[in-house]
Amino acid sequence: MLTKRENLMETIKGGNPDRFVNQYEFLEIILEAPLRTRPQKGQTITNEWGITYSWPENQLGPFPVHTGDFIVLKDVTQWKEMVKAPSVMFSEERWEAAVKHAESVDRREQFVTVFFASGTFEMTHMLMGMENAMMALYEEPETMHDLINYLTDYEIEYAKQVIKYLKPDALFHHDDWGSQRSSFMSPDMFEEFFLEPYKRAYGFWKDNGVELIVHHSDSYAANLVPYMIDMGIDIWQGVMTTNNTPELIKKFGGQISFMGELDSGPLDHPDWTREAISEQVRKACESCGKHYFIPCLTQGLNFSSFPGVYDAATEAINEMSKKMF
Amino acid sequence: MSKLEDVKINVENGKTKLVPELVQEALDEGNAALDILQAMVNGMGVVGDKFSSGAIFVPEMLIAAKAMSKGVEILKPHLAGDASVSLGTCIIGTVQGDLHDIGKNLVAMMLESAGFTMVDLGVDVPAQKFVEAIKSNPNVKLVACSGLLSTTMPAMKNTVAEIKASGLSGFKVIVGGAPVTETFADEIGADGYAPDAGRAAIKAKQLVAVL
Repeated sequence: MLTKRENLMETIKGGNPDRFVNQYEFLEIILEAPLRTRPQKGQTITNEWGITYSWPENQLGPFPVHTGDFIVLKDVTQWKEMVKAPSVMFSEERWEAAVKHAESVDRREQFVTVFFASGTFEMTHMLMGMENAMMALYEEPETMHDLINYLTDYEIEYAKQVIKYLKPDALFHHDDWGSQRSSFMSPDMFEEFFLEPYKRAYGFWKDNGVELIVHHSDSYAANLVPYMIDMGIDIWQGVMTTNNTPELIKKFGGQISFMGELDSGPLDHPDWTREAISEQVRKACESCGKHYFIPCLTQGLNFSSFPGVYDAATEAINEMSKKMF
Repeated sequence: MSKLEDVKINVENGKTKLVPELVQEALDEGNAALDILQAMVNGMGVVGDKFSSGAIFVPEMLIAAKAMSKGVEILKPHLAGDASVSLGTCIIGTVQGDLHDIGKNLVAMMLESAGFTMVDLGVDVPAQKFVEAIKSNPNVKLVACSGLLSTTMPAMKNTVAEIKASGLSGFKVIVGGAPVTETFADEIGADGYAPDAGRAAIKAKQLVAVL
């Protein structure tokens, strides 16, 4: 039987996998790596960028607060005064747990994976609010180019530290580029503002030991796939069913692989059922096939919002592997 | 091209600097303020259609709405006291348990462009707050409830139920958001549903036209 890592490589290279890659199994994500402060459930915090996040008890995750004085960057032309990237230098003690975790991973089995969030596009609207960030792309394009390059520089500085301590061989990178049915911006605008910065960032990771770039965007983003390929993404995680994933696999399989097709919204909720999950897993596996496709809940990271859902999806995928391989 | 057509096209194209000048020129030429406003509303209608069809995206919608709002600023003194400009008040909010706002904000923007006077309750809005807003605002013709999460669909159902049970009348209730379907909207007793911001404005006008 192939190792998880070997099976993943066979799947994304169009070789001979012996089973479906099961969600995130090939990635050992080192979440202990120091990065940014996040609120726990019930908390409101202000992080190192000055962005305030709130996680009310009744919510699935934290949200940036953009009411009143909580917006960090009200006028994008003043970004140099208002936006200060936090230091990426952490003490040996802060890195200790992450280093220990990374050293414990059998790299023949899994990729030692660093998680990076929030990505460059998300950072612009975390800092400014979504509407301001989107309008600034039209109203202050040069300033936005400068801000985006600054955020990219920060990511590369952080990457240097992570690479020094953990020597990761995969990157799981979070940046939502669309809603359920549409990308947030046109492909042309995406190309103009985000392609080159992402090529620079992903190029740096890959030039320094990272073999696999897994980009998370649980959205529609089919119209951005050519750019994903161009910037070096190996796997797009979070592919929702709205993307017509079988068509994407036909068109782009071999250049990029697709990880998702189990939309978290209809499957991961308090009244979830094993039957609904199994049915969607069956549909996904049968329609997407054995190559360039990894069945996975579209939510980022290897857990579900409601207990039991992730494991139920794992079990259903194992069953489909028995049937289809 | 007539000046009104010029205004309409430049709103569609999001020309925030040109539209105020063109609106002033249209006024100077003797065009009625209401006609100029209607030209801008028509321009936003085209924007909504293009957004619904995927021809344009969020930045284009936002910049077009900004162009219109700049034009409306020029028109305001000429429209003051004219009640016929408003289609009525719309109460909008994201239902309880949900903090997502961009979809709701886009709908609010399109409804305002269409001629509604907007009262935005924000996000995570309890059902009772919708009811109180209907009571405390004049000329409410529409209540719009947004929800992005499938986990907050029960809250949307509850919100619509409380609004209907309140005994208040003279308005319609429209719902929308990623997990919402027309079937669900019918099941929970909403008067209307729209899959995106562009079609929300069209549906809203249809709903209030029969009041």
